Amino acid sequence: MSEIAWSVILVFNWIVLFYFLALHTVYLGASLIAFKALKTYALRMKSLDLSDLITTAYAPPITLIAPAFNEEATCVESVRSLLTLEYPNFDIVVVNDGSSDGTLDRLIDEFNLKPARRFATAELESAEIREVFRSRRHPNLWVIDKENGGKADALNAGLKYCQTPLFCAMDADSVLEPQALIRIVRPFLEDGTTIAAGGVLRIANGCVIDKGRVVDVRLPQTLLARLQVLEYLRAFLSGRMGWAAIDATLVISGAFGIFRRNIVVDAGGYATDTVGEDMELVVRLHRYCRENDIPYHIHFVPDPVAWTECPESLSILSRQRDRWQRGLIQSLTRHRVMLFRPRYGRAGMIAFPYFFFLEMLGPVIELLGYVSFTASIIAGRIEWPFVMAFLSVAIVLGAALSLAAVVLEELSFRRYPRAWDLVQLFILAIVENFGYRQLSAWWRLKGTISELRGVEGWGHMQRKGFNVSDREAA
Amino acid sequence: MILSPTESALVILSIVIAVLLAITLVFSVYALLLRVRNGQRERLTEMLKSRWEGPVLAAIVDPTRVDEVHEVVPEKYRLHFVNFILEYTRRVRGEERQTLRLLASPYLDLIVGRMKHRDAGRRARAVQTLGTLGLPAYSSAVLDGLRDESPLVSMTAARYLARREFPEFAPAVLEHIDRFDSWNRRFLASMLAEMGSEVSGTLRGGLTDDTRPDWLKAVFAEALRTQRDPLAGDPAAAALGQEPDRELAASLLRLIAEVGRVQHLPVVRSFTNSEDEMLRSQAMHALGLLTDGSDLSALVEGLDDSSPWTAIHAARGVKEAGGRTLLEGMVADEHQRNELAGQILFEEGEP
Repeated sequence: MSEIAWSVILVFNWIVLFYFLALHTVYLGASLIAFKALKTYALRMKSLDLSDLITTAYAPPITLIAPAFNEEATCVESVRSLLTLEYPNFDIVVVNDGSSDGTLDRLIDEFNLKPARRFATAELESAEIREVFRSRRHPNLWVIDKENGGKADALNAGLKYCQTPLFCAMDADSVLEPQALIRIVRPFLEDGTTIAAGGVLRIANGCVIDKGRVVDVRLPQTLLARLQVLEYLRAFLSGRMGWAAIDATLVISGAFGIFRRNIVVDAGGYATDTVGEDMELVVRLHRYCRENDIPYHIHFVPDPVAWTECPESLSILSRQRDRWQRGLIQSLTRHRVMLFRPRYGRAGMIAFPYFFFLEMLGPVIELLGYVSFTASIIAGRIEWPFVMAFLSVAIVLGAALSLAAVVLEELSFRRYPRAWDLVQLFILAIVENFGYRQLSAWWRLKGTISELRGVEGWGHMQRKGFNVSDREAA
Repeated sequence: MILSPTESALVILSIVIAVLLAITLVFSVYALLLRVRNGQRERLTEMLKSRWEGPVLAAIVDPTRVDEVHEVVPEKYRLHFVNFILEYTRRVRGEERQTLRLLASPYLDLIVGRMKHRDAGRRARAVQTLGTLGLPAYSSAVLDGLRDESPLVSMTAARYLARREFPEFAPAVLEHIDRFDSWNRRFLASMLAEMGSEVSGTLRGGLTDDTRPDWLKAVFAEALRTQRDPLAGDPAAAALGQEPDRELAASLLRLIAEVGRVQHLPVVRSFTNSEDEMLRSQAMHALGLLTDGSDLSALVEGLDDSSPWTAIHAARGVKEAGGRTLLEGMVADEHQRNELAGQILFEEGEP
């Protein structure tokens, strides 16, 4: 190989090093900001009696929209959990998105659903609605049965029938904690310009669920699921908390977020031509409000929790990450006009560049970095001590960031009560650097390639169903 | 000594590794310490709870035994006791709550000192404690909270002062209400409505007070609506004639819908053809509730309004105005609004 080529490779190695440091500096910065924000939040929560706030004051009515596609295993448990939510005024709209399994039949049987009429209040496109059902047992439970059109399409169908000022977008396979709505609605009370708020997702694998409630929080059985527990802690407690603290939230998870209905309808509802409809909507809301001079805030609330089942096989996890990467690319490229534009505030000046250069392009740089680094080592172009030092930085920094998330968890919500859980999280913070991180980067690179090749669709996600308590199973 | 670029890089990387290792170690130890501290706190709380629960329950049943409880509160755990009582107070009402206040009263001076804490969250917590357990005795401290520079503390104080049982604090709350202009209007309205009929006169007067901003008048209108104040219809109608902004106009129409009378119909009708969808729908809502039957045709026309909200209110109005048969006919004939008619007919709960 020519010297020029080697020079290019060595320069690229430095670019990788710079990327790596920049990415982790942002992570570390976000963790530090989140640390302060979580402490402030915890103190603030101590001075608020949330139940009193909601029951004696104004509780804005909310419609929970839960799209369900082949959720036979978990849909009944999830709807039961929704029915037990502590909130004075809410509707549940489950949208059966053309499931080919027994999702609809299970819902009809379990909740005594009968055909009913419901008037559409928004003109949003969606696949054909077959039938609207209402529960005889629970008058606030509605089920919309429609042709398959994807999650965004199902959300739009639910949104069409939403008759409350707020709606909560969620997955039908998620379990919300009883006070989740009370907690997540708080920013809408305290700040009249709030248009959206996101909650926290936690991994339900391994937890025991009784009558739609998580009654025993445990780490999952499999290593792959446990690694995702750590990943979610990092993403939500460090990442999203940090971004929200500087008012630059670009992502609200599609599994649990609450929105002002009229602003979402005015902005056009969910985009059906992306697999990252949750992020796309939030980015579009920033853009819509900024371009129309609408005062707005998008919040992240760290304690309302939605428990969700995560993939436990490599193939399904790889498909999920592939989809997430495609969704990220689609959201960012569609709204690239926001990049470094002061008009879009911190979202455009800070969050968007971070997601664009570090998250979207990250896997490409990271994996090419592995290749060029390995080639440089084999060719003896980099000295071993330097290689070892660099790898040590990578591992220790990765572990430090994960441990920061564990500290944040310990400082705030302490959902994993056993001492052994804490020890396992420590071990996972080290273990994930050997293989899992690289795999994750590989899946995201595959997602980037899929996007460039024009691959569409979500990919299949097999659900095992929740780990229900012995009493309930009996 | 001069280092080569590689050696320099190595030195820098080694320093970075050392720093990162230290950070990692600090995080690990911190997490462990937090776990230990939280565990100790939980055990202490459980121990104190088990020690106090029996005597406190006995005192609730027989208030003459209050002093017996004070005997089992060691000096160093007085703040813990106040927090314990605060949590308990949230679960009870009436005389039981009064007994709990008595139990906490000897220790509330400790809380007053916390009103000067530099952290707003802690000040707010102090206001919450005094607001729950110390009113009216500690009203001056809570009123100080109302004037606190932090909106959190100020709002916490307002929430506890704006209670039906303390009408004497209503003027202070109303005086500071415009500090909360960023809060949700309905939330503020609910808070004002909590104060009961003592403030209704002030709220009614505020509707036509030119010195008040429109957003505040809208809050007053929503509060009067929550209170279902029977005298609010006339000032609301008068305020509608003063070219209010759209939010205020919508709130006034909602208020008239709730408490208005037939004589307010003309002002309501003047909004049924408004170009503003929100005002049109609120006017239709009021029309449906107030009409003497003479507006049935206008309501039926409203069913075809381009705004779904106007159509919904019109359909409800048709039903209220005795047009149930009309709606049933629409369902049977598969009229273009049959889904709406069907929903409204069965809104009582039967699908």
